[in-house]
Amino acid sequence: MKRKLPGQSTASLGLDLDRFSYLDSPDVVLRNIHLEIQPGSLTIITGHSGSGKSTLGAILAGLLPRHSMDHLEGNVAVGGTCIEFSATSTPRVDVAEWAKHIGFLPQDAGHYLSGIRGTVAEELAFSLENAGVLREQMHQRVAELAHRLHLGKLLERHPEKLSGGQERLVAMAALAISEPDVVVLDEPLAGLDRQATELVTEMITALRAQGTALVILSGSTRFWAQDADELWLLENGTLQPASDAEPGNQSEKSIQRPQRSAENPAVLLSMDSVELAYPGSAHAAVQHLDLHVRSGDCLGLVGANGSGKTTVLKSIAGLLTPVSGVLEASGSVGLLLQNSADQLFERTVLREVSFGLPKKSIQLERVPQILAKLGLEPYCDTHPYELPASARRLVALATVLVREPQILLLDEPTEALDEAGEAILQEAITEVLDGGGAVILSTHDARFMERMTDRVHAMESRS
Amino acid sequence: MPRTIKLHPFTILAIAVAVITMTTAASLWWLSCAVMALCLLIAGWAGHLKKLAVLSGAMLLPTFLSLLLIHGLISRDQSPAIAQWGPLRVTIHGLEVALSLGLRTAVLVVVGLLCGLLIDKHHLVAAIDLSPVPPQLGYLLAATLFLLPQMAEKQRQIGEAQTLRNMGTGTGLAGWFQRIRLRAVPLVLASMQDAQDRAVHLAARGFPATGARTRLRTVPDSSVQRGIRWAALVCAVLGPILILTFIGNRG
Repeated sequence: MKRKLPGQSTASLGLDLDRFSYLDSPDVVLRNIHLEIQPGSLTIITGHSGSGKSTLGAILAGLLPRHSMDHLEGNVAVGGTCIEFSATSTPRVDVAEWAKHIGFLPQDAGHYLSGIRGTVAEELAFSLENAGVLREQMHQRVAELAHRLHLGKLLERHPEKLSGGQERLVAMAALAISEPDVVVLDEPLAGLDRQATELVTEMITALRAQGTALVILSGSTRFWAQDADELWLLENGTLQPASDAEPGNQSEKSIQRPQRSAENPAVLLSMDSVELAYPGSAHAAVQHLDLHVRSGDCLGLVGANGSGKTTVLKSIAGLLTPVSGVLEASGSVGLLLQNSADQLFERTVLREVSFGLPKKSIQLERVPQILAKLGLEPYCDTHPYELPASARRLVALATVLVREPQILLLDEPTEALDEAGEAILQEAITEVLDGGGAVILSTHDARFMERMTDRVHAMESRS
Repeated sequence: MPRTIKLHPFTILAIAVAVITMTTAASLWWLSCAVMALCLLIAGWAGHLKKLAVLSGAMLLPTFLSLLLIHGLISRDQSPAIAQWGPLRVTIHGLEVALSLGLRTAVLVVVGLLCGLLIDKHHLVAAIDLSPVPPQLGYLLAATLFLLPQMAEKQRQIGEAQTLRNMGTGTGLAGWFQRIRLRAVPLVLASMQDAQDRAVHLAARGFPATGARTRLRTVPDSSVQRGIRWAALVCAVLGPILILTFIGNRG
């Protein structure tokens, strides 16, 4: 099933895909895709959540199709070898061998890290250790890579103690140490603050400078459009050339911030000189916090990763009791957590949204209505883990909205949301505000923050 | 600040095994007490005394109580009772049995816990990786040692999310059981999903290694330590035989 590529091909990676579908699914996820990745090039593939970007990334990385499970028709050329897949034959791929040519970093970079190494240096060397590289050579390669990618200060840190941005940098470096010809990155900037975004983009530039080809799968082309050699839009399962225009303008146009009707709206939340600390921690996570939120307010919390935004939201939701100061919330509070996976536990979307609601309650009767409003009706009987990331985020939002909170707290709400999902989120926020409620949101998405909030509170960074 | 002990993890484990087997075989109360006192001294030197005392107490207190209940209070032996409350009889022999078994268990627990506190877990995993055992064994141990805290964190996150939906907020024993029931399934599912997500990337990073593997981490070792390990293993195997033979001959 393997044949050599024609001698004249200079591509580091070639994909000629006729169709791809998952096991037990009649739907063709990807079709008629032809892609050639040249050495040192930057290829951007954009598309909304659920369009198949991650699936395409996994195919490029050799993780899909799973042997004797999924169906792929077409061929992939990697490392000078062309592997043919057909309806009758799915060759078994040596993932480790493939990864020497094509490295793939998933959206959750933490999944790439082994989770069993004590220092960043060891995590970087993990694949070298498995390849039996001598210790002296490993030290040399780790030091060189750390110097090149400015990671020297992190080498002795514990991988679990890294911030989200640092974790992604380390995962990218761990990927790069094997010096693959092509690096595929799935949403490399999702959830990162401005500083971490700059560091990741710097690292991408550094990798490119050393001749590594990069394929970036992203819902947004904002950071890449200027430098990209190729810009593709993945829509309806196939690739088409994309314009530089950012998808998502529609939702920006459609939003109308509600005008506050009452002259002296009621105070829904007041925090005076609040100090917050996690149990067992000697240091305060947040100090001297004063916040007052009135009916109809949409307040944004801004600050670097680790500045305490999530801590504040959790304290308002009652998950954390202030060490000192006064926190008073009048009315019900609902919190959308940053990671949807933490908020979902049931077997189906319908059961998930109904979880914990009293039987024969008005809230329980509202479940179908909420599902319809958030466009989740078709997924009623689907397991939340099987949904595209954007739909999963909306399910988590539905579990909050069904309780009709007067104070809606949103932690990085746009993370993983596509254009349509963002429009739905904006409508939900508007509805809460129109109903006399208040919204407090924390996001690194500066444009969303600017569009939605009346004012922002800057969290002080802890030194 | 706890001190670190610069011994190879296998050396510590070998000595511990030898001490446990020989103390158990000797079954002398003063020897068991001396071993435990030595363990406490070492823990004090290393800065782990409080931890060792609390953990040992948490494990040994129920053990001693159950042994006392079985052998000390409801023992059916016919030796004279030193106290009696209805069907409950306290006999000298029963107390001796309970104390003897309890002390043997105590040595096992205290020495085992001390090993856990003294050995650097990353050194232990590295030592196993560098030994000729299958690489999966090292990963299994590492996953057990390092992923359990991650599961605890996950369980906490699930608890927070359920609290937000007014579930699992009950108090007392009933509330505790309700929380366990509500969190167990999501925790298992989330852990399985996490393992599945990690597995493909571990494979992509060449794990498990098919050929010779190396480690960046250096585990301190020496020929003296290798000698001690061999001697400890010989003592662990032959020591109990010699002790039991000696006791048998004397009896």
